[in-house]
Amino acid sequence: MNERVIPWQPTVIAGPKQALLVTPETAEMMIVKAKRPLIVVGPLINDNPAQVLVSKIAEKWNIPIVSTGDAFKSLTEAGVPSKSYGLVEIVNLLKDPEWKGVSGEGNHDLVLFIGVIYYMGSQGLSTLKHFAPHLKTLTLCKFFHSNADASFPNMKDEEWLKYLEKLAKID
Amino acid sequence: MAPKPKDMKDDFWKSKDIKISIGEIEEKDTKKMGEEVPMGPTPKPHVTDLRSWDMKLLDRYEPFYAPFCDMCCLCTFGKCDLTEKKGACGIDSAAQQARIVLLACNIGTAAHAGHARHLVDHLINDFGADYPIDLGMNIDIEAPLIRTLMGKKPEKLGDLREVISYVEEQMSHLLSACHTGQEGSSLDFESKALHSGMMDDLAREVGDIAQIVALNMPKGDENAPLVELGVGTIDAKKPVVLCIGHNVLPGAGIMDYLDETGQEEDLEVCGICCAAIDVTRYNDRAKVVGPLSKQLKFIRSGIADVIVVDEQCIRTDVLEEALNKNCAVIATTDKMCLGLPDMTREDTDKIVSKLVNKEIPGALILDSEKVGEVSVKVAKILAPEREKLKFLPELDEIQKMASDCTECGWCNRVCPNSKPMMEAVVAASKGDFSKFQELYEYDVCYSCGRCEQECERDLPLMDFVTKVGEHFVKDEKFSIRAGRGPVQDVEIRRVGAPLVLGDIPGVIAFVGCSNYPDGGKEVAEMAKEFLERNYIVVATGCGAMSIGEYKDEEGKTLYEQYSGDFDARGLVNMGSCVSNAHISGACIKIANIFAKKPLEGNFEEIADYILNRVGACGVAWGAYSQKAAAIATGVNRWGIPVVIGPHGSKYRRLYLGRADKKDNWKIKDLRTGKIMDGEPAPEHLIYAAETVEESMPMIAKLCIRPNDTAKGRQIKLNHYIDLYKRYFGVLPPDINLFVRNDKDIPITHKKEVKDLLEEVGWEPREIPQEPSLMGLDGD
Repeated sequence: MNERVIPWQPTVIAGPKQALLVTPETAEMMIVKAKRPLIVVGPLINDNPAQVLVSKIAEKWNIPIVSTGDAFKSLTEAGVPSKSYGLVEIVNLLKDPEWKGVSGEGNHDLVLFIGVIYYMGSQGLSTLKHFAPHLKTLTLCKFFHSNADASFPNMKDEEWLKYLEKLAKID
Repeated sequence: MAPKPKDMKDDFWKSKDIKISIGEIEEKDTKKMGEEVPMGPTPKPHVTDLRSWDMKLLDRYEPFYAPFCDMCCLCTFGKCDLTEKKGACGIDSAAQQARIVLLACNIGTAAHAGHARHLVDHLINDFGADYPIDLGMNIDIEAPLIRTLMGKKPEKLGDLREVISYVEEQMSHLLSACHTGQEGSSLDFESKALHSGMMDDLAREVGDIAQIVALNMPKGDENAPLVELGVGTIDAKKPVVLCIGHNVLPGAGIMDYLDETGQEEDLEVCGICCAAIDVTRYNDRAKVVGPLSKQLKFIRSGIADVIVVDEQCIRTDVLEEALNKNCAVIATTDKMCLGLPDMTREDTDKIVSKLVNKEIPGALILDSEKVGEVSVKVAKILAPEREKLKFLPELDEIQKMASDCTECGWCNRVCPNSKPMMEAVVAASKGDFSKFQELYEYDVCYSCGRCEQECERDLPLMDFVTKVGEHFVKDEKFSIRAGRGPVQDVEIRRVGAPLVLGDIPGVIAFVGCSNYPDGGKEVAEMAKEFLERNYIVVATGCGAMSIGEYKDEEGKTLYEQYSGDFDARGLVNMGSCVSNAHISGACIKIANIFAKKPLEGNFEEIADYILNRVGACGVAWGAYSQKAAAIATGVNRWGIPVVIGPHGSKYRRLYLGRADKKDNWKIKDLRTGKIMDGEPAPEHLIYAAETVEESMPMIAKLCIRPNDTAKGRQIKLNHYIDLYKRYFGVLPPDINLFVRNDKDIPITHKKEVKDLLEEVGWEPREIPQEPSLMGLDGD
C-alpha cells in the first residue's frame, strides 16, 4: 500500500470510507467551488512557517479562520486574525446545519483543517463525516487524514510547505 | 486478617470545634438501615426512574458523537457500515455510539462493582456482617450516595451487601439494553449510561467505605501521613514485591505477613496504580512507585522480584514480561488468572518451591493471606539469585543497537502521542541520550510499548527508555499524602457557604489515569495553578500520584507545600479510583449539610442543587479506561462537569452545551416560581480540551454557577479572565454571558470588561435566587 495514504497514525482507520487524496490543484478546485469555506487551525502549527502560508490562503479566498486549542495567541502574534473555539465546540457547531457560521451568513460548506492534534482532529473529522452531510472537509496537514473527505498525503516538511505555497500562490 | 488497633490519629477533635460538631451530629443521627425515614420520590431508582432528569440534562447538554469506528461488529448481521446509513438491525450511527458508550460505562461499573463485591464479601468473612460502619466522630453522613440512592443509612458491613446487590441487579438490565434489538434511541442509551455511571459511583462508595472501616484506613484525616513515592525510594538491595492493580487485599496480606513475622524492615513492598495508593492507606510503610505510566518501565527494570497482580489496568502481558526478567508472578483475583495453575489450596511451602524452581510459570492464589506468605518467601529466595542478573542493556550496548535503526519512522507513527522515538534512537546511536531522557522524565513516554511492537529491527525500545532513565534520573524520590477518604462533615460546614456563594471559586478534582498527551507534569502544574488561586484541589488515583511527582525549586512536592484540608488551598488526596465516590459525596453533603436538602430517595433535588450551585469540576486529563468513562458519566448525572484531555475524544461522546442558544439556558427560580433567562453555567458537562492551555480557562469557567453571589462571581470571573488572558492574550469573548449586572464585573478588569459589554450591546439581567431545572417544561 502507498505509505502516503496510510493514515499517519494508522489505527485511526474507521471503516471503508476513506478520504480522497488531493494535490494543491484539487484542493484549490474545492475551495473555488465552495460558497462559504472556513479554515480551522490547531496548535500543531504554532510558531511554524505554515502559519503564514495559511494566512495567505485565507487572504487569497477571503476565508475566515477559526483557531483551536491555544493556537489563537500564536496566530495573533504572527499577525493572523482568527476566532477562537475549542475543537469540539467548533465541530459541534459545524454539524448543526442551522448554525449561522462564524460570519453569521450561514453554516460553512467546506472546512479546511490544519494543525489540529492528529488523533483528536481525526475524531472531529469522524463527527463531520457521520453527522454533517451538509459540508465537506479537507485537511491541509502533512499527515493523511482518512476521516476527512479529502486530504493531503503524508509528507515531509519540505514537500508539505511546497503544497501550501502552491495553494497560497496568487495566480 | 486481624483487625488493626485503632489509630489515634483518627481523632480530629483536638483540632476541630467539638461543641458545634457534636451537637449537629447527634441531632442528625436518625436514619438507620431498615429504619423508616421520610422518603423522597426515588429510592432505589430503576433504570427509567430518573429518565426525566436525564432528558433535562441531555436537552441542555446534547450528546456530541465522534465515532471511533464507522462499523458495528457486534452481531453476525454485520459488519455494518454506519456511515450515513443504518445497520442491518436498524441502528444508526448516533445510537450505536451511545450504545458503545453505555457498554463502556457498564464495563467500568462492573469492574468497580466486582471489586466492591469482592471486598465486601471478604471483609464480612473476616470481620462479620455486624462489623459497624464507623467513620469517626467527624463524619456523620458516612455514605451520602447510599443514603440518597438507597434511602437508608448503612450501619454495618452486612448492609453494604444490599447495596451491591442492587447495583448488580441494575447492571443486568443495563447490559441487557446493549443487546442487538433492544434500545434504539441514542438519548435513551445516554440515560442508561448516566444510570450506569451512577451505579458505578454507588459501587465505589461501597468498596471504599468497606475497606476504610474494616482495614482502618484514614477516615477523612486531613493529616494522613506523607508516604514515599517514586522509583528512587525503592531499596533494590532488599527483596522487592510489587503490587499492580486496584484491590488492596493481596497487598494488605503481604504487609500483615511482614508485620506478623517481624520482617517489616527486610522487604520492600511497593505498588503501581491504585493498589499502591490503597496499600499505603493500609500501611504507610509501603511505597508508591507511581501511576500506570510506570508499569512497563518498572517491570523491565527488573527491580521487582515478585509481581502480585490483582485487578484492573494491569498489562495483560505481565506474565510474559515478568518471566523475561526471571520474576515470579502471583495472580490473586478471579478477574485476572493469566492461565496460571490454581494453587489456592496447596501448601504454602509447596507453592514457593514450585515458583522458585520454575515448575510453574506463576501461581493463581485466591487467598490474600496465602499471597502474603508466598510472595514474601519467594521474593527472599529469588532476590539473591536475581541480583547477579542483568536486566537492561548498558548505554554503550544501546548505542550499538541503536545504530541498526533504519529510520523508517513507524515508531513515531504508532506512538499514541507521536513522540519522537526515532529521533531518540538516532541520537542514541551517536552517544546522545538526552532525547531518551526527555521521553523518560514525567512519563512523557508512558511505556505502552507500541513502538517496540512495530520496530522492524526489534529494538527493545522500552529497555532503552528504562535504562536511560535509570542512569540519568536516579533521584526519583517524591512524596504523596496517603489517601484520606471522605470529606469530614465539619469541613463541609466550614466551606459550604463560601463554595455555594462563590467566595471559594471552586473544587477541582484531578482524577483518573495517566494517558496524558505530554506527561504527568502538566497535571501537577494544573493542580499548582488552582491551589495558588484558592481553589480546593482534590485528587485520586494516578492523577494524585502525578501531582506528587512534581517538585518546586526548593525540592518540595505539592503535598509537602499544601495542607490536606478540604478547604481553599487544600490539596486533598482522597485515595484510589473507588475513592472518587467521595468527590460526588462531598457535593451531596453540601446540599444536605449546608442547604438542608433531605437525602433519602431524593436524587433529583440533590443533583439539581449541585448542578446549579456547587462550583465543582472534574479533570481527567489522562482518562483512558472504561472505568474512567463510568466515573465521568456518573458525576455528570449529579451535575458535575468534567474536562478530559485530548485522548478523551476517543470515548466517542461528550455532552456539550450551546452557549449561542439562549433558550437552552432557561431556569426556574424556585423562590418566585418564575421561569427566566439563565446563563451557560456550567457550559458543558463533559468537554475534551486539545491542550492544557485550552483546558485551564475552561476549568475555571466550568466552576461558574447561576447561584454565585456578586462577590463570588467577581472572584470566579477574575480567575477565568486572568487564565484566558494568559493563554489567549485577550479578554474571553464570551465574558458578557456571565456578567449578570455591574456588580459581577471584577474590579481589576472593570474597564476592559465594560468596553466589551458595550461593544456587544449587553443588558443587565435578573439574578435567580434559587436557580433550578425542576419545574420547567415537562415537569
